Amino acid sequence: MSELTLIIGGNAGQGLESSGAGFCKALNRGGLHVFSVQDNRSRIRGGHNFYLIKTSTEPIVSWTEPVHLLIALTAETVDIHLGKIVPGGAVVYDPSLEIDEDRIKDREAIPIPLPLYDIAGEAGGSKMMANTAALGAVAGLTNFPIKHLLSVIEDNFRKKGDKVININKKVAESAHDHAASKFGDSFKFNMEQQNGAQRMVMNGNEAISLGALVAGCNFVSAYPMTPGSSIFEWLNKHADEYGIVSKQAEDEIAAVCMSVGAAHVGARALVPTSGGGFSLMVEALGLAGMLEEPIVIVLAQRPGPSTSLATRTEQADLLYAINASQGEFPRIVIAPGTIEECYECGGRALNLAEKYQTPVILMTDQFLATSNRTLDKNNIDLGAIKIDRGALLTDDDLDKIDGEYKRYKFTENGISPRALPGHQNAIFKTTSDEHNELGEIVEAADNRIRMNTKRMKKLETALADMNPPKTHGLEDADITFVCWGSTLAPLTEAMNRLNNETSNTANIIQFIDLFPMPVEKVMPVLKNRKRLITVEGNYTAQLGSLLQMTTGVKIEEHILKFDGRPFSPEYILEHLKKLEKRGRNG
Amino acid sequence: MLDYNKYLRQQKFPLIWCAGCGDGIVLKSMLRAIDKIGLSKDEICMVSGIGCSSRLTGYVDFNTLHTTHGRAIAFATGVKMAKPEMHVIVVTGDGDATAIGGNHYIHAARRNIDISVILFNNNIYGMTGGQVSPTTPIGSRASTAPFGNPENSFNISGLAEAAGASFVARGTVHDALILDKYIEKAIRKKGFSVVEVMTPCPTAYGRRNRIGDGVAMIKDLKEHSVSVRKASKMSEEELNDKVVTGILVDRERPEYTDNYNKLIERVKGSNS
Ligand code: SF4
Repeated sequence: MSELTLIIGGNAGQGLESSGAGFCKALNRGGLHVFSVQDNRSRIRGGHNFYLIKTSTEPIVSWTEPVHLLIALTAETVDIHLGKIVPGGAVVYDPSLEIDEDRIKDREAIPIPLPLYDIAGEAGGSKMMANTAALGAVAGLTNFPIKHLLSVIEDNFRKKGDKVININKKVAESAHDHAASKFGDSFKFNMEQQNGAQRMVMNGNEAISLGALVAGCNFVSAYPMTPGSSIFEWLNKHADEYGIVSKQAEDEIAAVCMSVGAAHVGARALVPTSGGGFSLMVEALGLAGMLEEPIVIVLAQRPGPSTSLATRTEQADLLYAINASQGEFPRIVIAPGTIEECYECGGRALNLAEKYQTPVILMTDQFLATSNRTLDKNNIDLGAIKIDRGALLTDDDLDKIDGEYKRYKFTENGISPRALPGHQNAIFKTTSDEHNELGEIVEAADNRIRMNTKRMKKLETALADMNPPKTHGLEDADITFVCWGSTLAPLTEAMNRLNNETSNTANIIQFIDLFPMPVEKVMPVLKNRKRLITVEGNYTAQLGSLLQMTTGVKIEEHILKFDGRPFSPEYILEHLKKLEKRGRNG
Repeated sequence: MLDYNKYLRQQKFPLIWCAGCGDGIVLKSMLRAIDKIGLSKDEICMVSGIGCSSRLTGYVDFNTLHTTHGRAIAFATGVKMAKPEMHVIVVTGDGDATAIGGNHYIHAARRNIDISVILFNNNIYGMTGGQVSPTTPIGSRASTAPFGNPENSFNISGLAEAAGASFVARGTVHDALILDKYIEKAIRKKGFSVVEVMTPCPTAYGRRNRIGDGVAMIKDLKEHSVSVRKASKMSEEELNDKVVTGILVDRERPEYTDNYNKLIERVKGSNS
């Protein structure tokens, strides 16, 4: 197996995001696996940004911290990342940055001054193409076939015309040749072409969008907010092909209300957002609960409160997503941990919403939303998602209705057969006030009790669809980590390392279905563990609180992180050691 | 020449704005206007929301309040009512003030509260990557309007006028010196005042709509702007793709904090 981590770092505005994503594609075309981390500052220009790609001939569990190849478009990149360079690694930079070579050599790494700007210029390109040159150089240093990079350039610049394509290709080729001939022998880590399975590269937001699309999403309304926006943009881009109504609203209040309206008349509606936007949606969330409308909110978390670290990651909205409400109403909260689960959940969320006629919140975070990973093509099964519209009445059903249609009919399981507006036998009212089965305002206490109970009953009914947490690793272990969402990847790598050292050290319980908590299914998984530790991207161990609240199991130990950066396996292992030290001393 | 440095927090440089962005031109114009009036730095409270232009408050050495998306005018209203002697200036953008914050914008104008709004109109959301805004012209492209924007756009200045603002002017970064005058007048005016500044966003708008870089966009602005006087003689059709610049409203109307003070006096008077 050979693996390599490369970082391309520079200023915001140098196009690192698209270069990084493009290179992930190129590596995939070369048969390699990738796992990326996107790290942006919340600025349009200036300020250090970087894109990390871990690539390997074997499937990758998680990104890891050690860096083999650092491409520095700014001197700051070297200052920040040099400490992670492995012996034998290399730093590529333009000589104009005047990097002190000895600093690199002190770390037993190879300084590779490459005139990226001149190479770009001589090939007829602009300064902006320094990153194309850098990627060409990476291919040259690692023996990676340049043709894959060239084919991605062709695809990515197709809209801009042949001239732009050709210049970029020339820049990449010339940097490739330059790097290969001058430094190819000294840099020992390779990324050679692998032949075999066809794979694809996808990030969390793309997978959710695709899952939703396959599940018949035909309405999306949103207001721009990182990191949720790209779901909207993805669905929007495909709106013409798949008949999706996409509406950018004037704010998040309008966005969610539009979806409630669309759902009312039968659309499969989705609203992507992040915490700040979700905060504005809470009133309408209650409205959807009261009117029993199926909507899906994708809550891609970022650090809060308020604007905070706008382009970064955190998992601190869990209890908020579950509890945000005025009064009580049923909702379902799920949180995928892998790209494949993002795809499944994207579809499943729409089904659950219609089945239980209530809002579903699908939670991710910036790390999972933007992390590009390779997937085997058959991991995304387009046939696996079936559209389930729940207790929706067909025209035939409605034709047969005799007497008044009761939209909010009292039923055993709380779910009332649902008609969509537009049939003469089922012209019905809805109201945000408390109402009777006909949707008429009624203040009577007994009706309130019955109707509120009917709605809340759906939470109990939905337990049938809530899955127990997944266990990863061996059943029996000394340490059981408990996690949700994006933490799974780095935590799995940490677990593997622990078990490689001493077998049966650790396993993982991963929660996808968070609310309503299927306690009876959860207890057998949680109980009889030797030592439970939650690993979460927040300050207060929210999953721990949720589990204590719902199952009574109190988890005493936590590995937490709230610096806006994703977990790494190294961070988890280091903090595990700290916990153990504390345990011994205490 | 004015020493801009005395108003700037230079340790926060470089600015986040892209090369060719018009926001820096408006910043300088605003500082010239403030200097001309002779306001001291501690008399000014500058409030902004979220977006590229709203990051301006990080660079100026006034009492600054960088708040949440769309709410700058509401925060500013609180500041003004609690401390009416302060000069409250709001820095905001087209998305911030007229999409998510549209409600506050209209109601502040209706109240005619003595706040000066410098509204950077670049017809797009720059910071989040080029989504459609309420002022994106119909037919233009945006990341959320890949097939062209199907919506009519707002006339931001007209909105302020209709809602009751005392002073409304529209300028462009092409005519920065005239802009100084508008901003100066706006700050001096007792009442709600708006200066809508047309400013280019080459990164998120110009490139996508094939207008070009910052310079090309400023030239384009120049070609498409006509003065109010000239516009009054043009047909609606002729004005279709034009930006009408100049002082659009300058009128005396009762101002809100004044009204409020009168109310206090009256209520106190009748109680004693
Ligand atoms: S994105 Fe547009 S508005 Fe924002 S700084 Fe760049 S040019 Fe200016």
